[in-house]
Amino acid sequence: MKTPSGHDVYGIGAEYPTAGALYEAAKRVRDAGFKRWDVHSPFPIHGMDDAMGLGKSWLSAPVLAGGVTGLLTAAVLEFGPSSILYPLIVHGKPRNFWTVPAFFPIMFELTVLFSAFSAFFAVLIMNGLPRWNHPVFNWDRFTRATNDGFFLIIEARDPRFTEVEARQLLEESGGQHITLIHED
Amino acid sequence: MSERANVVPMPEGEFFEANRFAGKSALFGILALIGIVLSVVGGLVAPHQFAYSWLFGFAYFFTLLIGCFFWTIVHYAVDAEWTVVVRRQLENIASLLAVMAVFFIPVLLLRHHLYEWMNIPRGQEPLLDSKRLYLNMPFYLGRCVLYFVFFGAAAFLLRRFSVRQDRDGNPWWTLASRKLSFLSLPLFGLCLTFAAYDWLIGTDYRWFSTMWGVYIFAGAAGSSMSLLVLVITALRSAGYLRDVVTLEHYHIMGKWMLAFTVFWAYIGFGQYMLIWYANIPEETQYFIRRNVESWNVLNLLLVVGRFFVGFPLLLLRGPKKQPLKICVIAGWLLLMQMLDIYIIVLPALHGTGVHLSIWDFVPLLTIGATLAFLFLRVLGKASLFPNRDPRLIESLYLVN
Repeated sequence: MKTPSGHDVYGIGAEYPTAGALYEAAKRVRDAGFKRWDVHSPFPIHGMDDAMGLGKSWLSAPVLAGGVTGLLTAAVLEFGPSSILYPLIVHGKPRNFWTVPAFFPIMFELTVLFSAFSAFFAVLIMNGLPRWNHPVFNWDRFTRATNDGFFLIIEARDPRFTEVEARQLLEESGGQHITLIHED
Repeated sequence: MSERANVVPMPEGEFFEANRFAGKSALFGILALIGIVLSVVGGLVAPHQFAYSWLFGFAYFFTLLIGCFFWTIVHYAVDAEWTVVVRRQLENIASLLAVMAVFFIPVLLLRHHLYEWMNIPRGQEPLLDSKRLYLNMPFYLGRCVLYFVFFGAAAFLLRRFSVRQDRDGNPWWTLASRKLSFLSLPLFGLCLTFAAYDWLIGTDYRWFSTMWGVYIFAGAAGSSMSLLVLVITALRSAGYLRDVVTLEHYHIMGKWMLAFTVFWAYIGFGQYMLIWYANIPEETQYFIRRNVESWNVLNLLLVVGRFFVGFPLLLLRGPKKQPLKICVIAGWLLLMQMLDIYIIVLPALHGTGVHLSIWDFVPLLTIGATLAFLFLRVLGKASLFPNRDPRLIESLYLVN
């Protein structure tokens, strides 16, 4: 599919006057069965997850994996030298497992550090970042998304996407400035 | 789902029908009377054991009530939205703090069994003499009066303001409560910290820990949130608050339980590790006593049960949004708080190992049944949620 100017179509976008209108529109688009679409607002809108029909994010899985890796790394780094490779009595503390309270701070820190790293990189990967530009910026009005604009964009790669149907849905839900956005 | 556009709040509020629960109320009343009789017997027959048992029961319920007081003043101080629909129950529970002054009388009567420093005359023990500026009888009594006057009066006023607002809907009451809460926050911190020193550490005047007040606070805040979950669920299962408290509120209460489970573990471990690592005899003696013989088993049970069981369960989102599951966890955390207080108080008496006495249960029965009886009375006096609070709508339509 091509835009009038001859570019490939990225998707179709609409602007809404308020967060509430965007919230109601999101519920309609969700119920219409679209999967590849997103909303953009200057601030988080409570309840938007449900309105968009988003399930639970899978971000927690990499974070758990990172946290467990951190915990095990700390355990190996601490028990390895101190209890197995080169045991020394320090401060009269035991060398067996029961010296573990001394190791808790490092275990805690590495768990947090590895969790934070995996969360950070997983978020980048999930969002396809970093990238230089995004087709949504081909729409002039979209710069208001970080200021006072509320936008809903349905992507053309959605299997249910047809321009007529998407445009009609956005119009019925009260969208304004409905625009076909072209790819780069 | 959390979409509840059809629900219309009831401006007239919801009222607890005391008559419907007259049977339960009478049952608690009878149990309380039996408990009081048994307590008098215990105090006369085995005063030494009973003194510690009573302190255990007293401290357990005190921490639960003081936690509810904490959540009330935090609600006002930060102008919270979500708490509004559950706040009346926090106020109801906290308003029972004045009753705890009565339950403190046995501690005073049996003080010579509990607090060794009261029995040692001046000049015998240099370590104690260096602490006489703080540990002396007039100051001690003055402090105890201050705690109960402050906690009792502040909790009473906060509830009164809130109930007045039910009638006239004047936002001035919210502002007044906020000012009172600003004043109460630092006083709460000081009073709880020193009460924890006076009543719980006081059984061993040699020991000290600068983290003690925070440790008691952490346990109190988490377990009182658990208590709130149970009270709210009990009311809901009796048919009240059905349209008012949603799963979103449960989710937030569960999150606070998680937060304070972690905070409790953090403070408890911080206190333990610093003392364990420094290895100074006058500091370690507290933990040595609680980690020898059968006390060690109970202590490990506390660490595993309260943190390593509670943390992963509360970390999941699912259980926090299912009232039945969150109630099981809340009940477990309340048991763990009881175990925590038990390990704090009883080793001072039985240094050689756990020695469960029948008298340990009598104070729990006496104080618990009395508080439950009074709670049911207080419950019927006002609407079950602040029906004309300025932030009620925001709380009703809570999404998180």
